[in-house]
Amino acid sequence: MDSPVTIAACAAITALGDGLPPLERALVHNTGGLRPCARFSGRNYQTDVVGAVPDELWNQLREETPGYTNAPAFLLANHVLRQLRRNVTGRLGLVLSTTKADILALERVQAGQPCSEAARRHILPGQLAADLAAANDIRGPVRCVSVACVSGLLALQTGAELLLHNAADAVIVVGVDLLSHFVLAGFTALKSLDPDGCRPFDKDRVGLSLGEGAGAILLTHGVVASVSDAAVDVFPAAGTAATTPNLPLCIAGWGSSNDANHLTGPSRDGSGLALAMERALRKAGRTPGEVDYVHAHGTGTLYNDTMEALALRRIFGERIPPFSSSKGMLGHTLGAAGILETILCVLAAQTDTVPGTPRLRTPAADMPASLQLTPQRGVKLRTLLKINAGFGGTNAALMLEQPKP
Amino acid sequence: MSDIIVKAASYLGPEGYGNSRTGLKPWPDALAQAVARGEVPDTSWATLFSSSCPRFGRMDALSRLGLMAVELLGVDFSALPERDRDELGVCLETRFGCLAADLNFLETLSPSVFTYTLPSTAIGEICIRHRLRGPVLCLIPANDNEQQALEQARARLRDGGAARCLCIGCDALAEPAVRRLGQRAGTQAGALYLGPDEHPSPSLACDGPLLELCRRLCVRAEIQYKSG
Repeated sequence: MDSPVTIAACAAITALGDGLPPLERALVHNTGGLRPCARFSGRNYQTDVVGAVPDELWNQLREETPGYTNAPAFLLANHVLRQLRRNVTGRLGLVLSTTKADILALERVQAGQPCSEAARRHILPGQLAADLAAANDIRGPVRCVSVACVSGLLALQTGAELLLHNAADAVIVVGVDLLSHFVLAGFTALKSLDPDGCRPFDKDRVGLSLGEGAGAILLTHGVVASVSDAAVDVFPAAGTAATTPNLPLCIAGWGSSNDANHLTGPSRDGSGLALAMERALRKAGRTPGEVDYVHAHGTGTLYNDTMEALALRRIFGERIPPFSSSKGMLGHTLGAAGILETILCVLAAQTDTVPGTPRLRTPAADMPASLQLTPQRGVKLRTLLKINAGFGGTNAALMLEQPKP
Repeated sequence: MSDIIVKAASYLGPEGYGNSRTGLKPWPDALAQAVARGEVPDTSWATLFSSSCPRFGRMDALSRLGLMAVELLGVDFSALPERDRDELGVCLETRFGCLAADLNFLETLSPSVFTYTLPSTAIGEICIRHRLRGPVLCLIPANDNEQQALEQARARLRDGGAARCLCIGCDALAEPAVRRLGQRAGTQAGALYLGPDEHPSPSLACDGPLLELCRRLCVRAEIQYKSG
């Protein structure tokens, strides 16, 4: 790719708090934000252990945007979007990634409870994207991507394509999803949740943990200088142990696929996810041997994690680079997952840290030896592969690279 | 690289259903009223097609409609070499997505319904039926007729991300979603099969709304439309 698509800025709000520093601390110390949440206690769910945005942050968001106090999906997404928006001039586009948009509004409407007009609009994901664009004076192309758990990576791909086709000078890609009765009840119905909190790749793993949050990534085409000082805002002076200059990462390649096999279970042989990885590597012009680190989907379900190990072996053979999962840190944030996990890759490269896998205690016997239990510091990560898989048999992969000098 | 053309097109809507070879036909009486109400009954598949579709009965309206739009193209994807099916992309555009399934799930809390509470599940059903493993995307526009999926499909084909692409637009909105959201009931879907201009190139013989749909989409996306 001659002129790379660059990740120029990031913002996040998660169970760990507001901004990138809490994410960076968790990355470096291998900690997480899964805990019992009163919103879901005492109900007939498999668990109330989730990655919930703290109540005090919700209160701040409501005060920050008074016109949308009862429109939580908008509040979360707008919070991260506006942080990046203020630094951008020129033709700006928006890509929203979400699976359920304002699902809480649909619950209220269904129950005959009062629901604000804004929240009612945001039941439709496309309308949520349009309202976010309008509220932030974004006049370029607006897209809303909804492809289960791979939405975030496909939204980043869509943003990159908008830039490469010169439809915009910069694109902000936002991922958002909420914890709700709907998703807790749904995954409980499928018996997919771990009552004690997920343990990705663990021998005793029994299911996933859900989370909520929003992440935003500013994409530019070519040099970051075209966006006024955005990088200064984005990559805050990294935490205590950071020693590297704050370099952006480029999106060098992407790929997706469908298993054509099953709606809720991954293909047993990992071939679909391997196909997506192959496509991303091919587009980036990279070989498997050049990948320094893989940020896995790693939900903690029996089938997903085994499938991922098989997919990694298909691509890398027995020389699998270090890989890990952050679902034990934030929970599975669905439509926000691909965005937040890409931000974690950026922070990993910034801090020369190979991330660990929070909550993993004993790796399952079929897991490759390069699975990272704990973070490894002082390792240069120049080429990173981010992968996700989801319902409907979808798979996606994104190649991230430090820019060539 | 050869030109990208519309190799086949299909349409289902208030005016009828059909494809680019047969043109539009009126709905059988058994389905006409249901289509107007935004419903896609269990019997739809057997009424329109002679092939079997064992999974059809368990699907939500969006998946049913998407699958029917692709079947109506009249293309035998199984005749394509596996390599071609692996490179065949699927782009879906839907404004109301799986809203009906969402409301159904809140009523029933059934795991089999939860499976259909993602709009992209329709893509999964299409890929399973036709054994397609190419790149996928589902876009949710704010308004009707944005044709974002077509733009995206075109981009994939031009960039070499896919060699062929199915571009599908579909929405089915019935009660109780109509009342909950204050929208109009209705059923509409269309599919375009895009790919390289191979020889001999197929000729299309659209009429009525299908012709209009093809012309409008092709002009917007700068894709060649070859009228028979």
